Amino acid sequence: MSAKLELYGERFDSRLLVGTALYPSPAIMRESVRESGAEIITLSLRRQNPEQQQGKMLWDYIRESGCRLLPNTAGCKTPREAIALAEMSREIFRTNWLKLEVVGDDYNLQPDPYGLVEAARELVERGFKVLPYCTDDLLVCRKLLDVGCEVLMPWGAPIGTGLGLLNRYNLRTLRERLPDTPLIIDAGIGAPSQAAEAMEMGYDAVLLNTAIARAQEPVQMARAFRLAIESGRSAHAAGLMLQRQTASPSTPTLDMPFWQQSDPATQ
Amino acid sequence: MADNRTASIAIAGGGLMGRLLAWRLAQAGLEVSLFEAGDLTAPGGACWTAAGMISPLSELVHSQRAIFDLGMESLSLWADWAEKLEAQSGRPVNFRNAGSVLVAHGKDRNELQQFQRELQAKLGDGIDGDLRRLDRTRLQQLEPALESFEQGLFLSREGDIDNRRLLPVLLDLLRRQGVRLHEHTEVECESCAISDRRGRQPFDCVIDCRGLGARHSIDGLRGVRGEVLVVETGEVQLQRPVRLLHPRYQLYAVPRSGGRTVIGATEIESEDLSPISVRSTMELSSALYALHPAFAEARIVETRVNCRPATMDNLPHIHSEPGLVRVNGLYRHGYLLAPALAVRVEKLVSEQLNQVA
Repeated sequence: MSAKLELYGERFDSRLLVGTALYPSPAIMRESVRESGAEIITLSLRRQNPEQQQGKMLWDYIRESGCRLLPNTAGCKTPREAIALAEMSREIFRTNWLKLEVVGDDYNLQPDPYGLVEAARELVERGFKVLPYCTDDLLVCRKLLDVGCEVLMPWGAPIGTGLGLLNRYNLRTLRERLPDTPLIIDAGIGAPSQAAEAMEMGYDAVLLNTAIARAQEPVQMARAFRLAIESGRSAHAAGLMLQRQTASPSTPTLDMPFWQQSDPATQ
Repeated sequence: MADNRTASIAIAGGGLMGRLLAWRLAQAGLEVSLFEAGDLTAPGGACWTAAGMISPLSELVHSQRAIFDLGMESLSLWADWAEKLEAQSGRPVNFRNAGSVLVAHGKDRNELQQFQRELQAKLGDGIDGDLRRLDRTRLQQLEPALESFEQGLFLSREGDIDNRRLLPVLLDLLRRQGVRLHEHTEVECESCAISDRRGRQPFDCVIDCRGLGARHSIDGLRGVRGEVLVVETGEVQLQRPVRLLHPRYQLYAVPRSGGRTVIGATEIESEDLSPISVRSTMELSSALYALHPAFAEARIVETRVNCRPATMDNLPHIHSEPGLVRVNGLYRHGYLLAPALAVRVEKLVSEQLNQVA
């Protein structure tokens, strides 16, 4: 297992990707990003009237963090909208990396699998390195790989809910069936323990925003997530023990004859 | 000062901050000149766009403690100043110290709990008495129009002021006080001098409260777009500012005289001043409709768009050097912070003038 996260041929030490929205202030956002250790940050152009470059002041401020920028197409509902915004983002931020979002449902902001595949195919053809925000459905994921995505970002739960890993069966299936694809859990993570769990499962990285930005102390929460993700990754690399039904003492108890110390499960 | 003449003060920026300071300093007997790049009767700044909320508790949820402390101070200053302004001008400014109500729809009920938790985390036991949970009956008593809500929160120490009355009243008083008003005059501020295209004028002290007009003088000052709707209906009347909590946005409705309600405000990281978007119109009006279905028949009488001047930490900044005080970055908290900041600026100015003497 490689120690570094490899995405589209680039290597990263950090396995935490963070968003830049919802913070109490840009200054707290930048401090949180620094504390999170993230090397990739997502940002959205939607609603800012990007043609006029009137959000430029903040974009420059974000750029100064030195992180790789991953523009997203948050809020886009059709492939056409997403593609248009992607082109604009590529021009403004001078990167062909893209977090592709095509929202299919207003209430839970669920990705639209059909629109997503269609947009991904077109964007890959146009030279984008697409990181699609998708559901945890194996067949949708395979389709996205077929059209040329090299990284997948399945949800843990709907955006902003903090519900954690809702469908562990599906997520495990994805990991097992797509062992060579970098998989990043994107959205739904509310607590560091949930992020650690995703990493223990063998996911390559975690992308989140709300849980840090909306914490009462975002900078401190950024640190908590950094540690949890390092911890989860380390645990995965070390190999987790299997769970057992019966307690087994890790040190032999001296006053007990040793034939009673063996694990009943193996007798 | 060596001689006995009255000290001369130049204030750059005729928004809320500039007007309040001009009024206060003229009252203190100083010779005040006010410079405004735009129009004083129909100001182009955020002060004219705003809804005039003075809500230290609600704003604390997404900001820092300093905003709350300054806000509480302002709230009591407003009570005093509004009375003086009305007495001096003989016209109402409609300062209302009636608290505010927060509601959330059934599915978003957790938002109320989250709001309460965040306030408690930030203020500890300090909010006891300021925050009350409302059941249906008590909510009905406070806000009869909110009949479709099962519960809410009442924040007793919040208020609002009718900015569209206040700003003309202030202007009127400045005229009466003999403040020298220079409209349509874009200026640059430096220590003890104001310069415009006609030349440079000396003053004993210069106060820069130009908001985004000071963009080139203050590092990291940016505009944050906000959009507001004003609607009019005779069918439904709120009694005080009401906030609707929603997972994705927080919108408020502020009742004004004449059956009008101001509903705001979006917050978009952009300095775009183009007209309100369809999406924002839908968000704002659906929030209003959620408060009471009769709002569906209200007429949209005005849409407002402007940019709030904010620094990168979204906190207000006062910078003082001999002969020059700058105050800026009031962001979305103009009416909440202006009086408390004015008092601080006054103090700095008077210290400077005393040193010169």
